[in-house]
Amino acid sequence: MSTPVLELDNLSVGFGTDRGLVRAVEAVSFSVAPGQMLAVVGESGCGKSVTALAVMGLLPDSAELGGRILFDGRDAREAQRGRDLAMVFQEPMTSLNPAFTAGEQVAEALRKHRGLAPRAAFDAAVEMLARAHIPDADRRARQYPHQLSGGMRQRVMIAMALACRPRLLLCDEPTTALDVTVQAQIMALLDELRRETGTAVVLITHDLGVVADRADQVAVMYAGRVVEAAPAARLFAMPQHPYTVGLLGAAPRLAGRRDRLASIEGTVPDPLNLPPGCRFAPRCPFAVARCAEPPPLAYMAPGHGAACWRAPLDQVLAA
Amino acid sequence: MNLLELRDLRKLFPVRDALGRHRGAVRAVDGVSLSVAQGEVLAIVGESGCGKSTLGRLALRMIEPDAGEVRFGGEDLRALSPAALRARRRDMQLIFQDPFASLDPRMTVEAAIAEPLRLHGVVPRGQESAKVAEWLERVGLRADHARRWPHEFSGGQRQRIAIARALASGPKLVIGDEPVSALDVSIQAQVVNLLQDLIRDLGLTFVLISHDLAVVRHIADRVAVMYLGRIVELGETEQVFSRPRHPYTRALLAAVPGQGAKAPPLAGDVPSPMAPPSGCRFHTRCGHAVAMCREVDPVLPSEAHAAACHLAAELPPAIAPHETETGGERLRRLQAFFTQGTAA
Repeated sequence: MSTPVLELDNLSVGFGTDRGLVRAVEAVSFSVAPGQMLAVVGESGCGKSVTALAVMGLLPDSAELGGRILFDGRDAREAQRGRDLAMVFQEPMTSLNPAFTAGEQVAEALRKHRGLAPRAAFDAAVEMLARAHIPDADRRARQYPHQLSGGMRQRVMIAMALACRPRLLLCDEPTTALDVTVQAQIMALLDELRRETGTAVVLITHDLGVVADRADQVAVMYAGRVVEAAPAARLFAMPQHPYTVGLLGAAPRLAGRRDRLASIEGTVPDPLNLPPGCRFAPRCPFAVARCAEPPPLAYMAPGHGAACWRAPLDQVLAA
Repeated sequence: MNLLELRDLRKLFPVRDALGRHRGAVRAVDGVSLSVAQGEVLAIVGESGCGKSTLGRLALRMIEPDAGEVRFGGEDLRALSPAALRARRRDMQLIFQDPFASLDPRMTVEAAIAEPLRLHGVVPRGQESAKVAEWLERVGLRADHARRWPHEFSGGQRQRIAIARALASGPKLVIGDEPVSALDVSIQAQVVNLLQDLIRDLGLTFVLISHDLAVVRHIADRVAVMYLGRIVELGETEQVFSRPRHPYTRALLAAVPGQGAKAPPLAGDVPSPMAPPSGCRFHTRCGHAVAMCREVDPVLPSEAHAAACHLAAELPPAIAPHETETGGERLRRLQAFFTQGTAA
């Protein structure tokens, strides 16, 4: 097997606050192969965005990092942001500079990382915008962010991120702020460009539908830890962690009404006051005494692991 | 009986530039007629800028329409005096998307829920506290939460407080403007279940304004689909979702993720509501459009399941949305533990 583009080995991230240390991410390990899409799924505060920021090296200096982040088998700190790895954020308006045109912003990346002359960089930028399916790219390249729609701005962000042909693209909720028809366009675009360029993608999302449609691999996070990791098709067919099971039951369905949504009672634990063992145990209908100890991510099939003492849950059903 | 009736409502918002010069107008709601039956859950769906939130505010007379009529319980709301309208407010309430913005940070939970009780004289003076406690328990919180402040609660808990405040005056009609959209999926499920219980137990008439089609299918009896200020399709939820008639509804349903990776159903963006296209407003993005669609504005016929489309009768049969559900019986049995309690 080829070297993964990205490998997280026991990553942990803590933030000191006046009330104590917040363990935002703890013992997270996963890897992404070239051209693959890994989805990191979870609800607010689960640590998925902090994980992405750690990979990008965008955490504040005060953050306490543990474990290793490897890019192409080497320390990720040696990799160059913008050239080797790039990121697309949820809100394109806050990531684009309002004072420069779309074309200038894409061209800047090309000048900086590929050493193109200004004129050539602008021409290449227009070409990138066209590849991101921006109609009339030549004219749009001369427009400012406020003159573009939300979907258009996100296309500009994607064009900018992919302009230097990075090996890895991190996308943090890239379609959450967009309307559903535009969301579909952006996800199809990401997929298409990933297949063309072989760029590996880490997709941070809360939307299980998007994951089912687009991801090769999935890591489900809860309260800072990966609770389940599996190939996407397998995760939806045979989820093994109670949190994944609950999450799938909580989402209302488009194809037919359920009687009642399977809501997970309670709320996510306070990051300053985490339960000692399994962090999902207080909300888990399957919890037993042993859940007071932290369960390791145990593999029950190739590539499919769950951090749960009661997994595989089929034992529970059989009992 | 119809509790709420909207007739040919119109609302323009003038647009000015930075120097205050008139730059045109956004036709937010442009000729909408709709009735909501007593006890019905009606959803208004559409993408941003379609006018769904404006329509909700017009229905409650929080903003004045430029033209058209709003009848509530047979009474023309536009004809009411300010005092009479204030009294009517008891019967119609709004739940907002963002409970962080809709709750006053300087009011305790008790004060927030007691305000409508006092304002409308729902309970005799001095008995508000007991009623507040009752409402807190009813929405899944504890009576002792009354003394706390909004910032001490999570998003889901805050939305429960906002729901208690909206329902405290005993309204007949509640409009929820994206009431669960800001919540994480596990919390969203809790609040959806709560809303459904309250709608059923209190016999509420509920108008759900939402962009989330899965939530709409789960909750609503009937659906109105809006595009650029107009209703383009209206019908019973099951009908609209399984046999959508308008090309826009079809595209909207096909765009919902979770149905397998495929080509996006629509290209381009929604046109500017300042300059909506001629004829059928959807013709610029519609794969079926013919010459007539560019010229003639289609009307919404008065049928149980209606589509404002010249070609509705001729379109090929719709493909109902499907979801790649793969967990099957095993997953359903496992999920049952979440609704039934422990499996220890």
